[in-house]
Amino acid sequence: MDYMLNAGSRSDSNIEVYKYYSGAVVLASFLALLLQAFLHKYGHWTELVDLPLLVVIYFGVSRRNPVSGLFLGAVIGILQDGLGHGSPIGLYGIAKTLVGYVASSLGGRIDTENPASRFALVFVLFHFHQIVLVSTERVLLNRPAPFFTLHLLLASFVTSALAVVLFALLDRLRRSS
Amino acid sequence: MQGIFSRNRSLTLLASVVLAQVLLLAFQIKRAHDVRLIRYWAVEIVSPAERGGSWTFSKIGGFWSGYISLRHAHGENERLRAELGQLRLRNATLETQAAEAQRLSVLLGFRDAHTEAPMLAAQVIGASADPASHTLLINRGERDRIRRNMAVITPDGIVGKIVEVFPATAQVLLLTDKDSGVGALFAGTRTHGVIKGTGDPVPRMEYVVNDEKVQPGEVILTSGEDRIFPKGLLIGSVMDTVPGYPFQTIRVSPSARLDRLEDVLVLLSLQELAPKQTGEPSPVVPEAAAAPANPAAAPASPSAPSKRNTETSSPSATPAPAAKPTAAQP
Repeated sequence: MDYMLNAGSRSDSNIEVYKYYSGAVVLASFLALLLQAFLHKYGHWTELVDLPLLVVIYFGVSRRNPVSGLFLGAVIGILQDGLGHGSPIGLYGIAKTLVGYVASSLGGRIDTENPASRFALVFVLFHFHQIVLVSTERVLLNRPAPFFTLHLLLASFVTSALAVVLFALLDRLRRSS
Repeated sequence: MQGIFSRNRSLTLLASVVLAQVLLLAFQIKRAHDVRLIRYWAVEIVSPAERGGSWTFSKIGGFWSGYISLRHAHGENERLRAELGQLRLRNATLETQAAEAQRLSVLLGFRDAHTEAPMLAAQVIGASADPASHTLLINRGERDRIRRNMAVITPDGIVGKIVEVFPATAQVLLLTDKDSGVGALFAGTRTHGVIKGTGDPVPRMEYVVNDEKVQPGEVILTSGEDRIFPKGLLIGSVMDTVPGYPFQTIRVSPSARLDRLEDVLVLLSLQELAPKQTGEPSPVVPEAAAAPANPAAAPASPSAPSKRNTETSSPSATPAPAAKPTAAQP
């Protein structure tokens, strides 16, 4: 754990990269998309949570590979766009591609095992995701979406809190080295 | 240039992927055309699992509402059962009170219809512990001016007489008791006899000669010769007859329901009761209306006038109460 706190000062060859059981990434991504789409019909409270974003962040910071991170974000984002209605394909795709890349890049520089750092990381990346999303909407779609609202703040807290629990569960999918 | 790309391979890929999606977005916006293929496959991938999830949720919901939530239904069911039991009990009480009110109403109506004869309503509060003794205990006694040998009747017919008087209660000897005897006559033929208890629910009319044609259903009234019951009170009707020596055996069905008495009237005097002209049950039968149930025994038969005459003029044809002291004086 100690060396993880100082991961940023080490060379890339010393960064610990976690491996997962085969199909774990696909299964977790699928379940995240499924639950996001499925639970939405049981109430608007699910709008406070972005499960696909959590999966992108988790596997991004755990695998610490920017390429796989950005592709995972792109695929999950595009599928999330595909499951929506009214928004063009690529809106979530661009945002999650960038989040996946940033998360992978940050994963090797900060401690991602501590619940508090996980909470903070998700909180920051949630708003980063929102900024990219709103920027894309404003620039490409000419939609006046707000960058920040109280609802978004609440959603960021809820999603970050959920991330602490969810990441602990996803840790069980790690393959022991 | 190629070296820069190789050093920043991930950034290059990022830029490429983002650029591709921007172009995809631009394409959709420019053509106002959706990328249906992506949506189609996204939905196709997720929808089977969504259907499974919906099915599972509906089953879980059904299980919850059908079993788990029934925990409260069980408690509510118990509460409703208890409430139902209380309501049934209350209903039974009210029905009892209603029946009692009905009986008392009949008694009151009867008493009001016969104001010429003083009478007292009483409630049956007990019976004899001796199975061979047909007696009742009523809630009226010496304090209520009850005396021995007073007649006890109901609107349906006579019941018996007072045999023991206590300060607050009195004992009634039913006409079915083996020690009981009531002066009687047939309503149609006016032939006299004595109703004697036998110890079973069916008393008998005795001292009626075999020559007397008695038909089942014939009405029997009190004759008044026993000095206990006023004349003309309804006793019962003939069940059947068996020829005997020297008198025939006539089994009588009492009009009063002696096995389920709850309220009775005690006649405080021997004053005869005037025939009642209402439709309510009455133990007093008008002579003109006291026709036997069987037409053969009706007064219209040729023998009827002669029998009626024998009631007053010929003691030999109808045994006089004086000839049967044991029966007439129970």
